[in-house]
Order: sequence, then C-alpha cells, then structure tokens
Amino acid sequence: AAAFERRVLRRAAEHHYLRVRLELPDAGARPNAAQFKQLVVTALKELHGEVGAALPVDVLTYEEKTLSAILRVISSGLVKLWSALTLLGFYQNRRCAFRVLQTSPFLLALSGNSRELIL
Amino acid sequence: MVRFKNRYVLCEVVSEDPRCRQCIEDRALGLAVRDAIARVHGDYGLACCSISFTVKYLNAYTGTVLLRCRKDWYRLLCSALPFVRYLESRAQRYPCFLNTLHVGGTIRTCQKFLIQYNRTQLLRLLQNCTNEEERQCIQKSLLRCSLTEEQSQSGDEEEDDGTE
Repeated sequence: AAAFERRVLRRAAEHHYLRVRLELPDAGARPNAAQFKQLVVTALKELHGEVGAALPVDVLTYEEKTLSAILRVISSGLVKLWSALTLLGFYQNRRCAFRVLQTSPFLLALSGNSRELIL
Repeated sequence: MVRFKNRYVLCEVVSEDPRCRQCIEDRALGLAVRDAIARVHGDYGLACCSISFTVKYLNAYTGTVLLRCRKDWYRLLCSALPFVRYLESRAQRYPCFLNTLHVGGTIRTCQKFLIQYNRTQLLRLLQNCTNEEERQCIQKSLLRCSLTEEQSQSGDEEEDDGTE
C-alpha cells in the first residue's frame, strides 16, 4: 500500500478572490466598471488612507445588470479590503451596501456556489 | 497581558524658517501628526494611533519632540511622520519636516539617548561655529557636560543652553 501523506499549506496563495454584489436600493444610474473600481478604491481610501488606496485590487469581472463583480486582492490585503467594503455606506450620496457572496484563494472555487447549490 | 506598553518616538523638527520655532507647540504638533496619520492610514489608522497618543515632551529651542503611542501601532505612527510637511498655528503655515531620532520603550531610554545625541551635536556645532564668542559658549557647555573627577554627578546634561 502506498504511504499516505497529507500536506497542508497555510497562507500559500498569493491572491484572494472575492465575489461581491453592490446593493443600491434606489433606482438610479448604475455605475459602470470604472466607476465601480473607483468606488472600491474610495472605500479603501476612507478606511485605510493612502496606504489602503494603493493596495493592488483588480476587478476581474463586472456585470452592470446585477451589480456583481469578482475582485482580486493580494492575500495580505484581504482584511483591509473586506473591512473597507463592509463599512462603505454611500455611493454618490445614495445609500448602498456591499454583500460578499463568496471568497476563496482559488478562482476556480468561485464558479460553484454551494449555498444555492449551483454547481 | 498585564500592562499597556507604549512606544516613545523621539523626533526633531527641522525647518528653514526661523519663525517656525515660535510656533512649535504641543497642540499644533499633535494636530499635524494626527492629520498626517489620517491621510496616510485613514480612519482606522487614526483611531488606532490616537488611543494613547500625546506629545510628551517638547523643546522649542532645539526642536526636540517626544511622542507616545501604543506599542501595537507605533509602526503606523512612524510611517506617517515623513508626511508631516508643515506646522500650522495662529493661521500661519511654516514648512518643516520631522526627523526621527530614536524609538524607545520608556521615557528614560529616550532621555539617555537624547543626552548622548546632544553631546555629539555640541561637538558638531563646535566644529562648524564661526564666531569666537559662540565658540567660547559651546566650549563652556561641553566642559560642563563631560565627565571630570571633580564633578560628583553628571546628570542634567540635557538642559543645555541650546546656543546655536
């Protein structure tokens, strides 16, 4: 029988991926991709200052209809990004909220959603 | 997990404008540093560093400043100090910058460092001084603060006259 070996790597991934959805309860103009990224960077800047705004965040996909996006951030900056998204309250003086649907260090894991059993 | 540990950051205020010396006061400096932290590290950084933040000691003649903050967040404070570009007081702005000299765990270690530093600064001033009477003044201060057998205590050296 082959020897069984289990390896656990903690904090090995370079990037973390977040699937987020922006909730804008009022009916108004929806942000496009550039404005969405501007919103994310503004959130980081408010909570974590210039250092936070300089965090390398990428918007990998963005759907304007559902206002959902996949963000990629360097692993050491995940806490800063997530806390900044949580505490963002306003977009152009309109109430808004970020909901984080999935997060994973692997992009492939975001394709299946075990919460709603969409695999 | 017994006591709150602090870090004391010793800096000096360097400015080209001679009038900046009169506006070095603890409130103006504290506001300038907190403003820089807010810009660089945002609301979170400002809240962290303000927990135990004070200007502990200030010497307007030599421009020496001693700041205190919590040990967990002293790196936020130290990284924000280069972003202090000017001091503002009485509706006047004076451009300046802060030079970090020493980071210590207690006021006593910072004081020891400051005494050593002032001694070396006096020697440097002696080399660069132009006037004869300035030279006499500095030589007198140097003799007073160096160890000799007659003197029983060599404390109080940081109370130099600060002649320049």
